[in-house]
Amino acid sequence: MFVDRADTAESDGRTGSDGGTGGTPVLRASGLAKTYGPQLPIPFTRTVEVLDRADVEIYPGEIVGIVGENGSGKSTLMKILVGALEADAGSVSRETTIGWCPQEPHLYDRLTVRETFRLFGTAYGMDDDEIERVRDEYADRLGFERFLDYRVDHLSGGNRQKVNLSIALMHDPDVLMLDEPYTGFDWETYLAFWELTEELTEAGTAIAIISHFVSERDRFDRILELADGTLSDVTGQDPTERAGNDPRGVGANGGRP
Amino acid sequence: MADAREAHGGVGTAAGRGRRLRAGVSSHVRAFVRTPINVVLLIALPIAMVEGYGAAMEAFPSLPFIDTAQMVEMGRLNGAMYTVAFFAGVLGLFQVISALQADERLRICGYSRVELFVSRLVTVVIGSLVITGVSLAVLWWSTPVAAPIAAFGALALAAFIYGLIGMLIGAVLPRALEGSLVLVFLVDADDFFSSGILDLNAAILNVFPLHFPHQLFRDAVFDGTVATADAVGGVAYLLVALAVVSVLYVRLTGDGGVAA
Repeated sequence: MFVDRADTAESDGRTGSDGGTGGTPVLRASGLAKTYGPQLPIPFTRTVEVLDRADVEIYPGEIVGIVGENGSGKSTLMKILVGALEADAGSVSRETTIGWCPQEPHLYDRLTVRETFRLFGTAYGMDDDEIERVRDEYADRLGFERFLDYRVDHLSGGNRQKVNLSIALMHDPDVLMLDEPYTGFDWETYLAFWELTEELTEAGTAIAIISHFVSERDRFDRILELADGTLSDVTGQDPTERAGNDPRGVGANGGRP
Repeated sequence: MADAREAHGGVGTAAGRGRRLRAGVSSHVRAFVRTPINVVLLIALPIAMVEGYGAAMEAFPSLPFIDTAQMVEMGRLNGAMYTVAFFAGVLGLFQVISALQADERLRICGYSRVELFVSRLVTVVIGSLVITGVSLAVLWWSTPVAAPIAAFGALALAAFIYGLIGMLIGAVLPRALEGSLVLVFLVDADDFFSSGILDLNAAILNVFPLHFPHQLFRDAVFDGTVATADAVGGVAYLLVALAVVSVLYVRLTGDGGVAA
């Protein structure tokens, strides 16, 4: 299913897996600002400025890591980029299909995995045969085919996360926005996930991943750090000197999820 | 691939909208039925309320400002009305708040806010019709109903109105406990003051949500008649509620749907 998209990527002048800034961005945001605070003047509440004139561009075929401390606004940024949250200021240009894998699986607990694919596939405009084919493909690849008739609230955290990721991928989007997508994955699934991202980027899909693990830095074409509300490109900098990186990723577990 | 998707009911086509609505309603109904408390309430609430209210009114002392004719029957009617209003209200409330984040993800995947609203509304209507049928059956078992179809219509009207009120509360106050408490007190007071047990003439009672349904229900059960003015008033009330709730739902369930 990804070979077709590679042809499309070349014909569109996409830059391929080396990414870079030479092509046309598939997702562009500029001047994003977001502040959380109470709607009414309630005592003992505070206003938190999360984003302050943040700019980001994502290009076809590149894989971008978004890093930053806990609470720095990474998930907020991603929600604004996919359209799940309104920014207070700034603009987002989305002219391509987007797949979003939120940190917490926003799924319907009482539907089975099979029904979940049917519902979200219908939302994407896919026909029943296509939904079944893609569902079986990801179930086999990520190892949850035994659980297709399980309700989502009866799945383990790891299996729920596999479904969460597959829902983001199933319509073969041009841009994938993944918020710590491998939380709870076993080691084999974790490796399968990275294999999958390589195939997708080779086919021209742009991927942005929120990550805490420094050991994954070599997998990214670019690394953007979110600090004090703004994004800066820290690709190639010494990761151990940057705030917000989880040192557990360097040694203790080799970057396992 | 995009062309193929359009041909199979893509995002912008009427066929696509119909397919999304069917998928949405089917999923919401499944989720509703798979929640055990809903099924228990569907059966237990009508029995407890209809018979409980009847027994309570039978034990009520005779007071000068209370119409004591047919007290037991009036109690059962109130129980049936309370049941459909409360159940539909809670159903509407939880249709809105139980899956705000999943709904928001579904919107990003292709559903419009209007489609999400309509699919939730149709689910509320289906649940309202079921609870109306069960409540009327329980009432009919112990109390003669002169015009069953009109009685069903009056109860269903009450259920639809409170289903919408539940959705409104869910959109404005998206919290289970607070929203449920508001509904309990609202339905209780509305059911009591609109019931006609007290001989009240306050104009404010005419705008209570259960005012018209109660009038229609009493007439249908006791006399087998339908007053045109009450029927028109009840339907107008429903349409106004539908318009208000539609606008507020679409406006209020957007940005806040996904927790920051």
